[in-house]
Amino acid sequence: MGYYNEYKAEKTVQDLRQAVSIKAVVTRDGKTSQIDSKLLVPGDLVSVYVGDLVPADVRIVKLKDLETNEATFTGESFPVEKTANKIDIQNPTPQELTNYLFMGSVVVHGSAQSVVVSTGKNSKLGSISGSLTRSHPETEFQKGVKSYGNMLLGFTLVLAVSIFSVNAAIGHDLVWSLTFSLAIAVGLVPELMPAIVTISLSQGARRMANVKVIVKRLVSIEDFGNMAVLCTDKTGTLTEGKIALKDVHPLGEEKDQRLFTYSLLCNTAVAGETVVGNPMDVAIWEHALQNDSQKSVEPYNRVDEIPFDYQRRMMSVVVNKNREYTLISKGAPESVFSKCKYADVSGKIELITDVQKAINDKFYSLSELGYRILAVASRNIEKRTSYSVEDEKDLTLLGFLIFTDPPKKDAHDAINKLNDMGVAVKILTGDNELVAKTICEDLKIPVKKVVVGSDLMQMNWNEIKAVVEETTIFARITPEQKLDIIKALKANKHVVGFLGDGVNDAPALYEADVGISVDTAVDVAKEAADIVLLEKDLLVLANGINEGRKIFGNTMKYILMGTSSNFGNMFSAAAASVFLPFEPMLASQILFMNLLYDVSNMTLPTDNVDDEYVKAPKRWDMSFVRKYTLFFGPFSSLYDFLTFGIMLFIFNAQTKLTAPLFQAGWFVESFWTEVLVMFVIRTRRIPFFTSRPGKWLTLLTLSCVAFGTILPFTILGSFMGFAALPPEYWVLLVLMVATYLVLVDAGKVFFYKICKY
Amino acid sequence: MPNIDLFTWWALSISFSSIFLIFISIYLFIDSKSRRKEDIRKKAGAFRIGRNFAFVWVLLGLLVFYIFSIQLGAGVLSEAIFAVGNIVVEALLVLYLLRQREEDSKQA
Repeated sequence: MGYYNEYKAEKTVQDLRQAVSIKAVVTRDGKTSQIDSKLLVPGDLVSVYVGDLVPADVRIVKLKDLETNEATFTGESFPVEKTANKIDIQNPTPQELTNYLFMGSVVVHGSAQSVVVSTGKNSKLGSISGSLTRSHPETEFQKGVKSYGNMLLGFTLVLAVSIFSVNAAIGHDLVWSLTFSLAIAVGLVPELMPAIVTISLSQGARRMANVKVIVKRLVSIEDFGNMAVLCTDKTGTLTEGKIALKDVHPLGEEKDQRLFTYSLLCNTAVAGETVVGNPMDVAIWEHALQNDSQKSVEPYNRVDEIPFDYQRRMMSVVVNKNREYTLISKGAPESVFSKCKYADVSGKIELITDVQKAINDKFYSLSELGYRILAVASRNIEKRTSYSVEDEKDLTLLGFLIFTDPPKKDAHDAINKLNDMGVAVKILTGDNELVAKTICEDLKIPVKKVVVGSDLMQMNWNEIKAVVEETTIFARITPEQKLDIIKALKANKHVVGFLGDGVNDAPALYEADVGISVDTAVDVAKEAADIVLLEKDLLVLANGINEGRKIFGNTMKYILMGTSSNFGNMFSAAAASVFLPFEPMLASQILFMNLLYDVSNMTLPTDNVDDEYVKAPKRWDMSFVRKYTLFFGPFSSLYDFLTFGIMLFIFNAQTKLTAPLFQAGWFVESFWTEVLVMFVIRTRRIPFFTSRPGKWLTLLTLSCVAFGTILPFTILGSFMGFAALPPEYWVLLVLMVATYLVLVDAGKVFFYKICKY
Repeated sequence: MPNIDLFTWWALSISFSSIFLIFISIYLFIDSKSRRKEDIRKKAGAFRIGRNFAFVWVLLGLLVFYIFSIQLGAGVLSEAIFAVGNIVVEALLVLYLLRQREEDSKQA
């Protein structure tokens, strides 16, 4: 396993290296050449152009209309406009460093000359690769199994050593004492557990694949089911991950059809089979096609275009309808405002200076909701052969276009479903807090608290641990902060899942108890994840969690049975060995019973799990397992002792000669109680028979019981040292076992009232 | 009459397992109350505590009954008493469980 983990970690690093192995245009000693980005050093002058992957962390010296996409790095879906100016912010987050380009981001517009600041592992991206070189931390389930193993080891050692010592001290044969104590030790060890866990996990993985959840690391399935907190990014999970036109806002109350028609006319997107072009122009066209309103542009003829540039931050077109020429401008609101003289407020033309405050209020209130906004303005213009930037004057402001990364239709239901399942959802985004908050409001997700990366940076560890409990949205955060949030949640004893798909998410995917990625994620994220969703959909996730809980439930059944009835039986055997004048059961008989019991459990992974069990996440609680053992173990011992009484005093099996009868009687009772109590323990329902067990489990268990019952009457039984049991025994056995099962059920009422799990 | 030494040992063993179980129940009860920081005397009256421990009373009753019926030794009478006693206890427990189920569903 260790080797496998190391191999995977190494492969992840290789993928990361491959992903960032790029060429760079560098100027050294006045000579410009293209070199491998690995050879860049701080101080090099690097040029980047549209489509380039930034080769190192660089400080921009000179730029032209530069925009970059930092989505894989920050999670933000909108392009980021860059500047060459000095940024005067103390402790800025990477998102605030707009005069920097980060290694791995993509230039989507313009070009820049910049100076290399840090390269390779010293870059922001490199620091991510550094955190991936270690193996996955132990999952909660692995820790639980380990502590369970330690508890059993302690029990087994104490019991085996005591049995051997006491039996040897009272004069029993040393070899017999040793083999008997070893048989008891073997009886206590749940040797089938690895098989049960592996079968459960592999069958579960297959079932999860049917609900579009691919499990990469089997051991994470149980933690997946027990996940109490899911940290997820916003883009693509809560939102569609693409820009869409949300609404058009005229300046007054009345709708103005011109606003949308003009935005379609003043547009550079090309609508064919698919719409291509600038993301905002594409969004306008897609909105038109969805609402079948593209025909509104048909009466217009496009006469000329004044293209967009980064100085004006707007574009214009001139159109002609019925020989009337109109200049339409669309762009950044501040830029468009500066070209406007008038404003159209519900059809009334006002001087813009008179309504400027109301317009600004509207613009800022929409901005505060986290929307991206464009303004649209127009004016009548005389017919000419060509038009220029100088014509963009005396415009009449018509209104705003509101863009957003729209929320997913089913995200609200998915979040509700997750909450109903006891999974708290926290949003970790590189995007700004307003956008994240607006999305949550649109989806009706209750937001307790919003914390931004810069606030988090000021906090000490204890403050972070406290704040992660009450915060729903973490905005403008760095990959390192994502890691801190997950560590803090884990330190607060939560089983934490993280859903992410960018390079920046890889460390958090590694650190979380369950790293979840999607099929469309970057390779590094997929490699770091434990679970890959074939659809980036929280509903798919909810189905997977359900499966994980069923698997955990069936694994726990085996553990609780093994540590209660099994423990009780071995304890009775140990006590009886001290006082009886013969062996209560031969070592070979104990081992055979153990084998038969394990066979009966082979189909446990296919058992049904009660609906109420999968409603909330569980955690591995060793204190609960210990209490369960201490409470339910003695029930089994009580009925073992009762069987001793029946065999000794009703059937007079008190001598070495009648020992085979005693052993057969106890073997059958012990086996019946040990196996049949599974039907009581497997459910919390009272009475136990109101929960339907799996058919294969029922079939195999009853077959094993039947085999154990007839064993004393067979040649194999004789060979093993059993004697045939009298008919009266069976009557007493049936009554006794029935009382035992109902008594354990009554014990469950008491136990689950006081031991919450 | 059964061998007295063996019988005494047996009676002690079965009593020990029952008493151990009762002690564990009391320990778990007190532990749960102390973890929830409840005052046992204030929050739970004697009757309520008694009701919580219903299975313990059944257990003690069963213990006495089992020791008594086994003491009778071999014979149809002891087997019949053993059978009838078990059936009565089972019936009582099933009634208790069904009532408990009704209470649980009301609470839910």
